[in-house]
Amino acid sequence: MSAATMNGTLVVAEHLQGKLRDVTRELVTAARGLGGPVAIAVIAPDPSQFDVNLEGVDEIVGVPVAQQEFENDVYQQALEALIAERHPDAVLLGFTVNSMGYGPAVAAKLGLGFASDVHGLAREGDAIVATRSFYGGKVDAELEFPAGRAVLLLVRPTAFPPAENGGSAATTQFAVDVQPSRARHLEFQEAPVGDVDITTADFLLSIGRGIGEQEAIPQFEQLAEKLGAILSVSRPLVDAGWMPNARQVGQSGKTVKPKVYLALGISGAVQHLAGMKTSETIIAVNTDPEAAIFKVAHFGAVADLFDVAEELEKLS
Amino acid sequence: MRIVVCVKQVAVLGDEVEFADDALDVDPDYLDFALNEWDSYATEEALRTRESLDADDDEIVVVSVGDPRAENAIRRCLAMGADRAIRVDRSGSADPITLARLLAPVVQREAPDLVFCGVQSSDAVQAATGTALAELLGLPRVAVVTRIEWDPGGARATVHRELEGGLVDVTEVNLPALLTIQTGINQPRYATLRAIKQAEQKEIEVVSPAEGGEPAFRVCRMFVPPREEGAQMLDGGPADIARRIREIIEERLK
Amino acid sequence: MPRDPKYDVLFEPIQLGPKTMKNRFYQIPHCNGFGSEKPLSQAYFRAMKAEGGYGACCTEYCSISPESDDTHRVSARLWDDDDVKNLSVMCEMLHEHGALAAAELWYGGPHAPCMESRSVPRGPSQIPSDFEYLTYAKEMDKDDIREVQQLYVDAAKRAREAGFDIVYVYGSHSYLPQQFLTPYYNKRTDEYGGSLENRARFWRETIEQVREAVGDDTAIAVRMSCDMFMGDAGTQLERDCLPFVELCDEIVDVWDINVSGISEWGEDATPSRFYPSGRLLPWQEAVKKVSKKPVLGVGRFTSPDLMVDAINSGKLDIIATCRPSISDPFLPQKIDEGRLDDIRECIGCNICISRWEIGGPPVICTQNATAGEEYRRGWHPEKFDTAENADNDALVVGAGPAGMECAMILGKRGMRRVHLVEAEEDMGGIMRWIPQLPGLGEWARVVNYRKIQIDKLPNVEFIPGTTLDANGVKEYGAEIVVIATGANWVTDGLNGCTHDTISGADASQPWCLTPEQIMRDGKEVPGGNVLIVDNDGYFMGVSLAEKLASEGKKVTLMTHLGHIAPYMHFTLEAPNQHRKLHKLGVDIVPYHIPTRIEQGAVTATHVYDDEAHEQTWDADAVVLVTQRRSNEALYRELKDRVGFDALEQEGITGCYRIGDCEAPRLIADCVFSGHRLAREIDSDNPEVPKPFIRERRVIERELAVA
Repeated sequence: MSAATMNGTLVVAEHLQGKLRDVTRELVTAARGLGGPVAIAVIAPDPSQFDVNLEGVDEIVGVPVAQQEFENDVYQQALEALIAERHPDAVLLGFTVNSMGYGPAVAAKLGLGFASDVHGLAREGDAIVATRSFYGGKVDAELEFPAGRAVLLLVRPTAFPPAENGGSAATTQFAVDVQPSRARHLEFQEAPVGDVDITTADFLLSIGRGIGEQEAIPQFEQLAEKLGAILSVSRPLVDAGWMPNARQVGQSGKTVKPKVYLALGISGAVQHLAGMKTSETIIAVNTDPEAAIFKVAHFGAVADLFDVAEELEKLS
Repeated sequence: MRIVVCVKQVAVLGDEVEFADDALDVDPDYLDFALNEWDSYATEEALRTRESLDADDDEIVVVSVGDPRAENAIRRCLAMGADRAIRVDRSGSADPITLARLLAPVVQREAPDLVFCGVQSSDAVQAATGTALAELLGLPRVAVVTRIEWDPGGARATVHRELEGGLVDVTEVNLPALLTIQTGINQPRYATLRAIKQAEQKEIEVVSPAEGGEPAFRVCRMFVPPREEGAQMLDGGPADIARRIREIIEERLK
Repeated sequence: MPRDPKYDVLFEPIQLGPKTMKNRFYQIPHCNGFGSEKPLSQAYFRAMKAEGGYGACCTEYCSISPESDDTHRVSARLWDDDDVKNLSVMCEMLHEHGALAAAELWYGGPHAPCMESRSVPRGPSQIPSDFEYLTYAKEMDKDDIREVQQLYVDAAKRAREAGFDIVYVYGSHSYLPQQFLTPYYNKRTDEYGGSLENRARFWRETIEQVREAVGDDTAIAVRMSCDMFMGDAGTQLERDCLPFVELCDEIVDVWDINVSGISEWGEDATPSRFYPSGRLLPWQEAVKKVSKKPVLGVGRFTSPDLMVDAINSGKLDIIATCRPSISDPFLPQKIDEGRLDDIRECIGCNICISRWEIGGPPVICTQNATAGEEYRRGWHPEKFDTAENADNDALVVGAGPAGMECAMILGKRGMRRVHLVEAEEDMGGIMRWIPQLPGLGEWARVVNYRKIQIDKLPNVEFIPGTTLDANGVKEYGAEIVVIATGANWVTDGLNGCTHDTISGADASQPWCLTPEQIMRDGKEVPGGNVLIVDNDGYFMGVSLAEKLASEGKKVTLMTHLGHIAPYMHFTLEAPNQHRKLHKLGVDIVPYHIPTRIEQGAVTATHVYDDEAHEQTWDADAVVLVTQRRSNEALYRELKDRVGFDALEQEGITGCYRIGDCEAPRLIADCVFSGHRLAREIDSDNPEVPKPFIRERRVIERELAVA
């Protein structure tokens, strides 16, 4: 092991309302890819509440703090203290709302190398090279970081596979003296259900002309609800007056970039593709193997959309 | 009271792309430019805050790092109703920490009561400049704000922080503070032609960038990500396909 | 952007007899109202498509003799050498762009009323035309047959002389050669009637003779209707058409395949209301299976994917378009350049066809305001010169068809800034809800196209959710103001029959409604029994009738006219619309005008009953489709109350009105209105349209001065 990897990678676990978030597991996989020891810090009143004994973790560092839920000052102070003590080569956080609240602050304060929404990581000799997208996801770039400094990276969720259980990590405690937060968590609330805004949905179930007639729509509204998706449509359904324009994906409707775009019976007219082709994962079902949507989709199936919809509903 | 809004003119890439000779960035001929969408929400929120607080000597100052072309975006904000604007003269892109270092002295000089930034820019999507800037200013901060309620006393505010999946974290923050503003918090107003014309006449203060500080990263290579030709096709009957789709959905939505 | 290789097949050349066509885009013979007597309008109109990439462009039906005179409808003519001169301009301009020119040689027989020439048409049997009920043909004897065939030969020679590369022996739509083929028209008992071989004889001989005359250097095309949908009486695919193709395949260079006869040719030129694109493909495919020659045909093709599929699946060799070439002459080039979202798609409204059906007027198009204006106004659909006053800001109030078009063209003409301000959240105006009437989904393309184009224009901004009053307009900061606030259906029954309101008509009542209230505002139509008062004459009344009847209401449709929706005869939508209404049990009451409307009942009299006997209909709801009125309040306030002088003080140099808010009109004319103003925004007085070129003979002589 070279000197550069000696201090290893520090992962900060992310949790919410008593559950460990999946991105934590993915960070461990990413960390292992960098070589060297992997430590994972759990910041909570009772760090042992969260099982982070994952394959590849060498050390679990419990950081007891008074606050159960995330506060950015708490995490910033805890992380700065950990860095001062342990001098990791790399610190990995998830590219999440929580991390946005403190990761860049730590990097700025300590003069660390920094990048967020990283979806690729590699070692080149002693140096870390990260890959992230630019220009709204249309191009990628490889980044290098200042020599002699640690690097703090916010890693894109689902970019790395989750590490499995069954690690054999040693557990340590790390005490921090945390000053009162200047931004304090009061409570959680479910988001108010307002008008449908398909541009902010994580998961869109999108239907097109392939559904045939207006009478078929309730079936897909139901399926969307069961799947936890928002229903969106391609233009012909709006033109015909079957669905409101607010649901339309496409050049004369809305541009969307959900985590999952499941298109049933949409062939992929240019104007439609323009509205959704940068979605993170596109799954398309169409009876036409030559349908243009298959060119932009990540996954496709040549099948009858009603058959597939029926099966999906059974599974929900 | 004075509200500073940090804005960015972002680059928009169309379907075609060519890289500059050094392959470290896109050829600017292929770029269009616009005011960052998040920043129009941030500017609007500043305007609404002023209107709702009805404060005396209120002023909204827009600050941006960019070359002269970035003044288009700045003037958009002036046309919406911001009072003054400052441009830190610098061309080319920069990492969020560097941007924060460039913004900090200018914002500091304004002694703001509030600082608003957009959550992220649509071209770089780092979602980091605001939080880094807050640190350099020594300000309390909340990132990804979808609602603000002001405490009548003026010492703190209650904000909504929007987490993944729509859950809201209700947070109390000391003032002055820096908030990064999420889209959808309001409906940004349109500027009339008159306002746009008046904004064109306004003087934008141009300052030289502060020296020093190593960039947080350097691009060593920029490229179009290789795409597999077409989709990975799923085999089997509808039941198999549905099962596989279900797996993919679960994986991707974590 | 480069062409998607998927579309490469559309750009492969193909051999038509002795000629090579450079790609698979063919502008099918179709009318434009110009004929041979407006030769420059004709030539510029056709050449625009050649410039846009079409591999071949055709004349409209081209009369071969004064006996085949379709007046009042406008056909082309090749009667004499002067016609040759006039049509040669078209050929020359097409050749300049590398396109082939085709002449559709036409003899109408009993359908041609000869109202200008006063000649007498000849036909296979003497039965009055099913299309022109007063017209009889002279029943042809053998000499007549030879003479008429000679007319074809002479016309073919003239066509070649004019420069045409392709000549048709045209039969589709029940013209002479097809009349011989069809028992409905041909009752002959000689060798030109009876068996298929006999019925085919006239057409086959004519093709042979034309081929002999010009076929060595001119391609011979045959346009045939495969099925007239008239049962045994009409042409049928298996019995007549396919054997005919096999019989004549050797002597034909290209087959142009249609369906239907003349009296319901909406089955061929399908309105989008009733048929999707590609309706004719099954017949075209059937012909392609038995022929060794190239097969082409129309189908209201707007989608390049459908076009490619038609060729790759062996249904067509060449994609022919009529209406899509009118709405976008540059369709081929846009596919070639990967600019699919710039294609201005045909909406299948058939307003273009309606102008020919009416007889006389030039072609117009809802989507393409420059159609028909290529020569007489010099408008190019893709080229816009920078306005001389481009250094100005423009405010367009209202984003309906007129406002969208005006803002878009002002943007394309380089106006410094254009703000298109709209009260609703979306673009479209009336075109937001009209496409939601039954069958009209494709009409939304009027909005979709403009939305995309305006989005692309960096100098045009769309500002929704904003209502401007006169003060707001005055202070907006624009130098040029365009008011496009549209029109509304009246709420008081004012109508073009009595020129008065209807007693009791009041759409503020829950039981009395206007079209907008139903479609745009979602006002509920109470009860099970609806009476629609329709004084409009076009589609609004029947579309609402269809919609409400489909929702389970008992509908009565009352009009003061003799026919319901008479304009739909011109758009070829009438027969199927009537079928629909009949099937839905809609009661049609013509020649009646209401005298009184009250909750639960409508009282009306017959318009020709001088004693005005009243009759009463039960009606839980009454829908007023009586007339529209311009929403001119804003304009009137600006002009009358504020005053143009006061506006000028604010820097506003021009305040104009376009579209329905000036006077209610067809959607196509709203689009035209916005387009014209934008094209002429830098003229001395943009409010007044500049003169357009009229192709006419002017007699120069010394005027006697007293």
